[in-house]
Amino acid sequence: MILKSSSSRIVISVIKHIVLIGMLGFLFYVFFGAYENLEALYNTFGKDYFSRYAEAETGSKNLVTSILLDYRLFDSLFEAGILLIAVSGVIWISRHEIEEKNAQFMIDKFKTPDLFVTFSRLVYPLMLAFGFYVIINGHLSPGGGFQGGAIVATAILILYYIDAEKDTNINLIVTVEKYIYIAILLLATASYFTRGAFFTNVFPLESSADAKSIYLVVLNVLIGFKVALGLWAIFTAFLKEGR
Amino acid sequence: MGDLTMLDFTAYALQVLLIIMAIAIVVHKNNGTIIILITTFSLITASLYVINRAPDVAIAEVAIGSAIIPLIYVISISRQREFIVLDKAMDDFIISDNTFTGRGYILLKRFTDYYHLELNLCNDVRLCSLGSGKDQKLCEDTNVDLIVSHDEERGVYVLKGKASSILMNKLEQMAKDYDDIEVIKFKDRDFGD
Repeated sequence: MILKSSSSRIVISVIKHIVLIGMLGFLFYVFFGAYENLEALYNTFGKDYFSRYAEAETGSKNLVTSILLDYRLFDSLFEAGILLIAVSGVIWISRHEIEEKNAQFMIDKFKTPDLFVTFSRLVYPLMLAFGFYVIINGHLSPGGGFQGGAIVATAILILYYIDAEKDTNINLIVTVEKYIYIAILLLATASYFTRGAFFTNVFPLESSADAKSIYLVVLNVLIGFKVALGLWAIFTAFLKEGR
Repeated sequence: MGDLTMLDFTAYALQVLLIIMAIAIVVHKNNGTIIILITTFSLITASLYVINRAPDVAIAEVAIGSAIIPLIYVISISRQREFIVLDKAMDDFIISDNTFTGRGYILLKRFTDYYHLELNLCNDVRLCSLGSGKDQKLCEDTNVDLIVSHDEERGVYVLKGKASSILMNKLEQMAKDYDDIEVIKFKDRDFGD
């Protein structure tokens, strides 16, 4: 059905706007209601529990890490899986059948400024070191696998500004990322044989906090590498798209 | 400010600044400015996370929001601004007497200036050696926007590009004045074929 006359088009647009405003009003009402009832729902049970037992139970001084890598590891695994799927999607959209797609330009206007290159060379090792610091100290200080992995990925991205002609095998990156994801899944499942429960710390509950932190460091490093490789793959796909 | 502490005051000021930034991102037209504004937005958000005692989230916000996302935007926008032409004809249509003064070049220059694009010419041997049957695949799979070739039999220059590009309609309109220039638009294949 095609409506061509202008009056009916105006009527339809008015109806659309009224419906939209109605939906927004309903959303506002729901949120406002939730805000009103927040006081009744509020309790400090979770907060008290985590601040009292989390360090002894998981070996992590950082409570966020203790939740992400121990209490709610099942959620974190799917979060890591979502990143893997997103990377696969980006690569699938930007796949190419002609082998070598980079055309040689007669006039190439894209050139990184020298100041930026020099500064990148200076900053690159520091960024890499800070990224690894954030990954390895994930159970002691703010940060962890995802944050550190993102910093490492930024450092690698800086590398492309230093050397624009750098060639990367994107398939290799994604393959390694997949294997690391499988390793994370296996490590998460290993607790079934030691504790009898899936997706928690490998070391038994009564072992010391130092022993438990070994598991947290290993898992953080694996997640960090996985995230760094995933983001690296994403912006390699972006860089290859244009040049 | 009554019994407001300094930290509370900073938090309120940052929140007001956040709203101003959000409006500025929507209002501004220049892409470069918008990228810087997005970066500022996520830095302010990260400061607010720190004030609200969520340093883990703040680190993630800084790393993703003010490093990776702006860099990806910069890459994509610097690529979008180019109009890449593959010169298969290799005669004086575009380059005459070793300078860019050919008739085709003047037409293309006029066209790219109209849209404020940068004209980028290439005559890559590997891409040019592909047969004309592969032109459509070449346009879809590489970053080439337009292919210029010479039809020897009819004596016309053929400009080929994607039909989905709105620019091609304007080029077709501009090329109407020339008798020996023909514009061909490839039909799109469905996404996911």
